[in-house]
Amino acid sequence: MIHFDNVIKVYTNQNRPALDHISVDVDKGEFVFLVGPSGSGKSTFLRLILKEERPNSGAIHVAGKDLSRLSNFKVPHLRRRIGCVFQDFRLLPNKNVYENVAFALEVIGKPRRFIRKVVPEVVELVGLEGKAHRMPDELSGGEQQRVAMARAFVNRPMILLADEPTGNIDPATSIGIMKVLDRINRTGTTVVMATHDAAIVDSMRKRVVELEDGKIVRDQSRGVYGQAY
Amino acid sequence: MRANFIFSEVWIGLRRNLTMTIAVIVTVAVGMALLGVGLMINAQVSNMRDFWSDKIELSIFLCGKNDPFPNCENSSGLSDAEKIALRDRIVAMPEVQGVEFENQAAAYENFKAQYGADNVLVSAVKPEDMPESFRVKLKDPNSYGAVVAALDGAPGISNVVNQQDILKQFFGLLERLRWAALVVAFILVIAAILLIGNTVRLSAYNRRRETGIMRLVGASNLYIQLPFVMEGVIAGLIGGVVAASLLIISKVFLFDSVQQYLPGNSALAWSDVASVITLTMIFGVVICVLASFVTLRRYLRV
Repeated sequence: MIHFDNVIKVYTNQNRPALDHISVDVDKGEFVFLVGPSGSGKSTFLRLILKEERPNSGAIHVAGKDLSRLSNFKVPHLRRRIGCVFQDFRLLPNKNVYENVAFALEVIGKPRRFIRKVVPEVVELVGLEGKAHRMPDELSGGEQQRVAMARAFVNRPMILLADEPTGNIDPATSIGIMKVLDRINRTGTTVVMATHDAAIVDSMRKRVVELEDGKIVRDQSRGVYGQAY
Repeated sequence: MRANFIFSEVWIGLRRNLTMTIAVIVTVAVGMALLGVGLMINAQVSNMRDFWSDKIELSIFLCGKNDPFPNCENSSGLSDAEKIALRDRIVAMPEVQGVEFENQAAAYENFKAQYGADNVLVSAVKPEDMPESFRVKLKDPNSYGAVVAALDGAPGISNVVNQQDILKQFFGLLERLRWAALVVAFILVIAAILLIGNTVRLSAYNRRRETGIMRLVGASNLYIQLPFVMEGVIAGLIGGVVAASLLIISKVFLFDSVQQYLPGNSALAWSDVASVITLTMIFGVVICVLASFVTLRRYLRV
């Protein structure tokens, strides 16, 4: 599903590469934790999958597509197959839960009948039934992140990228968020989650890829966060 | 493509930047109106050229008794035979199409007709004071040089008046007006472009959350950019409509009211005004679209 082959990414004005000879494979339906300290290259890894950045060398394949051969014109179609969740939720404050989720479908031109059918289903899947007409500022942080996950998942992406989704949420609420991610993963969606949260990684017992200074220092199935932290 | 989604986005954008939008509309309107006035002066000048080109003539005034012209000193005027000889000489010139002789009585009648019978000046002048003249019509009104050179200063001729010179002054005035209008229009077009750029930048900044999410969920570039470009188009169109009404007003109250001081009918037709309006509208909208597009490339990463 995601295939990195000897990828090097150096940002301009920086000597040290953000990613240094990264080769990694993520299969369809896998759940992968991406761990490592700040600046180790986790976010760069996720941005490369979305083709928000281009690697300096090496090849990246996502959902069977060679990203270096994907024209800019087709990048939006790639992104429709990838859902994204962030630490800061990124909801639209002037739209309610339903509208926030529907927005993701409206802007890719889905018909209204389709939207009316699938949005309530996804809102229920993330555990927000009955709160579809709340505004974001009427929701707790955990609930806002559920809205963001509903929006990321509503178009049934093949891949879900989560960049520290529990970073702004207390540990008890985080468990609920992880349950939703696990539920999404069980529908066959590949999940890649960058995180600092040792407790979550340890409790989930999924594959762990650890980055340090842009290099993969550990790739372990059913791993834990590691002793050093 | 969901039209009502795009239009609601456009409406939100225009309302959020109301003051900037008004500034764009006003600048586009005044700029396009001045551009239109320039084009209308153009049409007016060519209308008048068409009207005058077959009526323009050279007037060759003959010396009378005691005329104060230097060429007429000690001259007691031409004899009839000399006049016929002069006439033959003029007719023989290759540039000349025809010659009319205007005697003192006819000149007096024309003079009266021009100033009105009860004018003080007319009552002070007698037919004997009027000069005799040959009215020369040229094949091409612009090829007067040789004729004037040959006749000006010839014995018995007091002076040669080229009507083209009088018209030239008038056309020169119109030409200067047109250039003034076009220069101001050009400056305003630049101001409009900068204003549109600023509006789009503000608009892109105001909606950076929305566009960020749109990018993330895979909205196509067209979907992301169209609302911004449409804002420019709508501002340009409203400006164009205002400019059109300004042009119609200037046609009725400026161009048509000047006509009553001019002989003959060289008024602008409404079809000329319509084509000027269409042209300025298209120009205005194209400028708005280009300006929004160029700024979008800078401020909206897709």
